[in-house]
Amino acid sequence: MAKQPKPPVTIRRRLRGAEPYLWMLPSMLLMAVMILIPIFTVFRYSVSEISRSGRIKGFNGLENFKDVVSSPNFWHTLTNTLVWTVVVVGFSTVIGFVLALVLNQKFPGRKLIRALVIFPWATSLIIQAVIWKYIINADYGSLNVILTKLGLIDHFINWTSTAEAFFAWECWVGIFVTVPFVTFCVLSGLQSIDSSYYEAAEIDGATFWNKMFKVTLPLVRPSLTVSTVLNIIYVFNSFPIIWTISKGDPADKTHTLVTYLYKLSFTNNRAGQAAAVSVIGFVILAICASIYMIMSLRGEEADQ
Amino acid sequence: MKKVLALMLAMAMALSLAACGGGGDNPPPADNPPATTPAGTPSDSTPPSDPAPSGDKINLNVIISQYGNYTQEWWPTFEKDFEDTYSNIDLNIEIVSWNDLYTVVSTRIGTDQAPDILNIDTFADYVADDLLVPAEEYTSDELKAKLIPSFWSANELDGTVWALPILASCRALFCNMDLLNEAGVTAPPKTWDEVDAACQAIKDKFGGSIVPWGLDISQDEGQAAFSYYTWNNGGGFVDEKGDWALNSEANVEAMNYIKSLIDNGYCNANPYTDTRYPLQDAFNAGSQAMMIGACNMMSADSEVNYVVADLPTQTGTPVAMGVCDRLMVFDSSVTASKNSDEAARLDAVSKFFDFFYDTNRYSEYMVFEGFLPVTTDSSELLSKSADQFAVGGTGAPGDSEYFANFSSILLSCDFYPSSRSEWIDVKQGVIEAEQRICQGEDAQAVLDEIQARVAG
Repeated sequence: MAKQPKPPVTIRRRLRGAEPYLWMLPSMLLMAVMILIPIFTVFRYSVSEISRSGRIKGFNGLENFKDVVSSPNFWHTLTNTLVWTVVVVGFSTVIGFVLALVLNQKFPGRKLIRALVIFPWATSLIIQAVIWKYIINADYGSLNVILTKLGLIDHFINWTSTAEAFFAWECWVGIFVTVPFVTFCVLSGLQSIDSSYYEAAEIDGATFWNKMFKVTLPLVRPSLTVSTVLNIIYVFNSFPIIWTISKGDPADKTHTLVTYLYKLSFTNNRAGQAAAVSVIGFVILAICASIYMIMSLRGEEADQ
Repeated sequence: MKKVLALMLAMAMALSLAACGGGGDNPPPADNPPATTPAGTPSDSTPPSDPAPSGDKINLNVIISQYGNYTQEWWPTFEKDFEDTYSNIDLNIEIVSWNDLYTVVSTRIGTDQAPDILNIDTFADYVADDLLVPAEEYTSDELKAKLIPSFWSANELDGTVWALPILASCRALFCNMDLLNEAGVTAPPKTWDEVDAACQAIKDKFGGSIVPWGLDISQDEGQAAFSYYTWNNGGGFVDEKGDWALNSEANVEAMNYIKSLIDNGYCNANPYTDTRYPLQDAFNAGSQAMMIGACNMMSADSEVNYVVADLPTQTGTPVAMGVCDRLMVFDSSVTASKNSDEAARLDAVSKFFDFFYDTNRYSEYMVFEGFLPVTTDSSELLSKSADQFAVGGTGAPGDSEYFANFSSILLSCDFYPSSRSEWIDVKQGVIEAEQRICQGEDAQAVLDEIQARVAG
């Protein structure tokens, strides 16, 4: 009888090679179940005819997409979404950056202020939105009450008389809740900058702006990149603020893609069209994120 | 060491999975209406019941919509009484808030997990997909005999009745007489001119502190406002032949009248987003003089001195609006209960309905929720002696006068044409039209567009 070969060394080696993948398996599975399957489902819905009661009736090609793009509401919503993302991300990045510079200085009560700044971000978005809805309400809102008590106005003002006014308030709430995230991202970047850079710059006679553009900005750029990319994704997909404050009304003029598709799906019972809008949003976001990542990666390579 | 690590990882995974499961639902609409009528209260729904069949028992899954803050206190007793009476039927009742109801139902239907019996407002979409069992197949002769005939036939589509009415409510004009009197108005307004005059008087007297007229043209129930004003101007959703007629001259006038209420500063500042719930709250609190609302909108602790009047009309005959919700039975091919014997299932369904519409039990539920009965025997009983039953939450005795008055108004009410398959589009269309017109677009043009879109 032939002696059994004994090759466990190579098997063990192979197993060792596979070990990282084994460890990654749970999270891979998790991602597949929680991310890939829903994405696949949405793509399938977007090319299916779905009845009002939610039954899939079969493949219908690009019919849902045609229906969506032929609606004027969709194009208005798309414009809104771009305005919403650019305004909220833009303003909150600038404000958050300035705030981070301030909070990076040493002053009495700094800890307290830092704690306060994180407050809007730490509370649930829905609560924030509901509170702001009550603040700006024209009939009993606290903004009108406070301004009246201060004697600044003599009658209640309707702060949201037009769709544009509604949307502007929603952008403000978006900025208000996004600023803390930027602030803390940038602050963490600022704190990692060695003070010797600034000392060296000062010895060379650098002004405040020189230091800002030549030292601070290049060194916090990774933090800013992270916060901006994440914010574009979060803000683009943000649902609670707009849905709570206006539900996309008056006359569907304050929707972003996410609230629009929610309304299509759950108020109008048009799940196929809602999925199509979702796919369009996904593609836009994927393109934006890729461009930004490529640009920032190139920038980093050029630096090295 | 590795074992410990592996264990920790596994636990973390399980936890994150659980977290995903818990948060996986769609975000609910954030409007949290605290009141009682057929579109919602904050949800505290019971978890879905176990669909697994047990032995020879018939499983019946029932979704009941949440009509008030105490709905979930009444049904468990019902469930227990029913199961005590019929030991071979396993009844699982789930209470779902109106905020989540449509999402829950469409998700369940899409995954073949539909309930056997569903309580909701419309059914045409389900009929279009062949998902419902005709009502004749489970309605006993006794039950059919005591349902008010107009409510039975209101659920007819293409010659078949597809659902049973569960309860009804009707809308009327509520006036805070203390405020009206103080402003020099002695009686509730009967015409639009009188409404304008009363609103102006309130506005002159109280300035901005009192809202003269509550108006809701929001997504929540904007179609109700459309009905109140078009029906009382001789218009409406359909013409005499029953064809969609959204762009009639009477409707254009009515839309322009709604716009004038906003432009003159007679109503709440944001009728686009104010649902009826904040309006009801404002009326109950005495900070709003008039509104058209549901018969049961007054809260028990309100101290407002109010009268209930007919809807203001331009035609001489006020048209009240009734709202009726339904109970329907799903085909066994899409239900979660997976009973093998269809005849036995329908027999159980039939028993469920007979049990529910039992004179005393059904009357008790109507008093509990403050809605109007749709059976003749309970209407009679409650008109005479509603005080033997208790109102949900407060435990106060029922008010026979309330049931007598509103049950008689109910018989002359008009209802939404909601059994038609185009209804959802029409409903969304008229809400969109109201909002666009009130934002300044031309009424005729907008209504023409909506008419062309929904009626083809």
